[in-house]
Amino acid sequence: MTSVTESAAGRPAGGVTANGARHAGGTGLAFRLERAGLGYGRDAVLRDVELDVAPGEVLVVVGASGSGKSTLLRALAGLLPPRGGRVLAGGEEVTGPSADRAMVFQDDGLLPWRSVRRNVELPLRIRGVPRGERGRVAQEWIEKVGLGGFAGHLPRELSGGMRQRVQLARALVGAPRAVLMDEPFGALDAQTRAGMQRLLLDVLRDTAATVVFVTHDVDEALLLADRVAVLGRTGEPGRTGVRAVLDVPAGEAARTNLRERIIEEL
Amino acid sequence: MAGSPTLAPSSPPDTDVAADPAGPRGTAGGRTALRWGIRAASLLAAAGFWQVLTAADARLWLRFDRLPTLGEIAERFGAQLTTSLYHLDLLQSLIRILTGFGLAAVAGITTGILVARSRRAGDVLLPLLEAVRPIPAIALVPIAILLFPTDEQGIVFITFTAAFFPITVSTRHAVRALPTIWEEAVRTLGGTRRHVLWNVVLPGILPGVFGGLSVGMGVAWICVISAEMISGEFGVGYRTWHAYTVVDYPGVIVGMITIGVLGWLTSAAIELIGRRATRWLPRAEGSGR
Repeated sequence: MTSVTESAAGRPAGGVTANGARHAGGTGLAFRLERAGLGYGRDAVLRDVELDVAPGEVLVVVGASGSGKSTLLRALAGLLPPRGGRVLAGGEEVTGPSADRAMVFQDDGLLPWRSVRRNVELPLRIRGVPRGERGRVAQEWIEKVGLGGFAGHLPRELSGGMRQRVQLARALVGAPRAVLMDEPFGALDAQTRAGMQRLLLDVLRDTAATVVFVTHDVDEALLLADRVAVLGRTGEPGRTGVRAVLDVPAGEAARTNLRERIIEEL
Repeated sequence: MAGSPTLAPSSPPDTDVAADPAGPRGTAGGRTALRWGIRAASLLAAAGFWQVLTAADARLWLRFDRLPTLGEIAERFGAQLTTSLYHLDLLQSLIRILTGFGLAAVAGITTGILVARSRRAGDVLLPLLEAVRPIPAIALVPIAILLFPTDEQGIVFITFTAAFFPITVSTRHAVRALPTIWEEAVRTLGGTRRHVLWNVVLPGILPGVFGGLSVGMGVAWICVISAEMISGEFGVGYRTWHAYTVVDYPGVIVGMITIGVLGWLTSAAIELIGRRATRWLPRAEGSGR
């Protein structure tokens, strides 16, 4: 197994980036799941999950639908308390959501009555940032995700891809220590999706935040990840839960091998 | 670029197609004029029908011979408009309904949110609300008379009670129907319960709440007029009933028309404010009325 050195995107893994100082408090958050049992109601989706996420890395969780990858992410966000075991963020037990752990949802995560600008300003407003400062920082992010001319638009006036750009800006504007992304490009067409992946790599280069990204698309995982965690199907004894955590190597041939390995594990 | 913004739906509903004469459709302005024409014609046709029946003193099992003609009504209306009493009545009814309805809106929305968001508040308040809700507000007249020092307060109380329940119930349902994703989004951005209340719950329930406000305004009119007929000294309802007791039938009709117009205006005002407040809804624009 290759060691974590540098992802294909050229983003140094596990450390503060050169530009990290731009965002105050900008060290990535470490996550750890210890024998965590996760699920809704009476059914456990995942049992005895053991997983470590290093500060500043991009960990992509791949799995088929129903493998519990969204469940895992919601537990990290603090939206779903574990049924057993522990979920730790930065060494402390997760008891609820926090501004440190921003989340990007698959779709419709924007508040439809707020314009693009007011959606992006929301995290700053919650934190009590003064109005002028708020507007300036939000505008910066809106331009960074390529929506400079759309600040006054309502979400319903934007395409699916543009709405996800807004979600990305809203998640990152508060300089969180971790960004949790739940199949954020899952509902987009292939072309838009490729554009969004490039944009994501681009904006992540400037942040030190840890990223946990959930997808069912193996190629997307290989493109974005420093490491890939593979979840097996639920309901198949012996194949449930985290099957493997694999480093993503730099070489083309090594990645092809890894791709086959992941598909085997799925 | 991720694509151009999608256009808001802008095609009007096809209600006017049937009325449109054969051939290509007219301009948007022409069609709007046509639709207003149809609306006006609908009212005029009803008035004309009334005029035919009353002028001919028709007795077709239903007896129209004692009802006033359009001319008599118009004459009475003209006379009333010049009196200060008519305007005083109008003002009095409006103050009553706006006070009762305004209090009901505030209390109803607050209660609806409270019982939907807090399990404890729901346990305490819901049985009480469900027990009182089936009682028609107008049946509370005896209680209102006993409870309040003046008739005025009693009438406002009855109006309040009438509007309170539809507003509470629709608010409660709107809160429960809110998608959880908006709340989760705000919480993962560091929002507290208070932030969720102001930034998600209150704006998110508005479409449902305005439905309740609209129904509430309707029943508020029913109850304010009924209460005035029973225990008022002023007001459109009192004046209408009074006209009947003194055999002033045109006066009765004038009162009824006044109530109809006032009800229509207040409903339209709520509709208008509601549409302004929910512009973000996918179909808010271009959907005809």
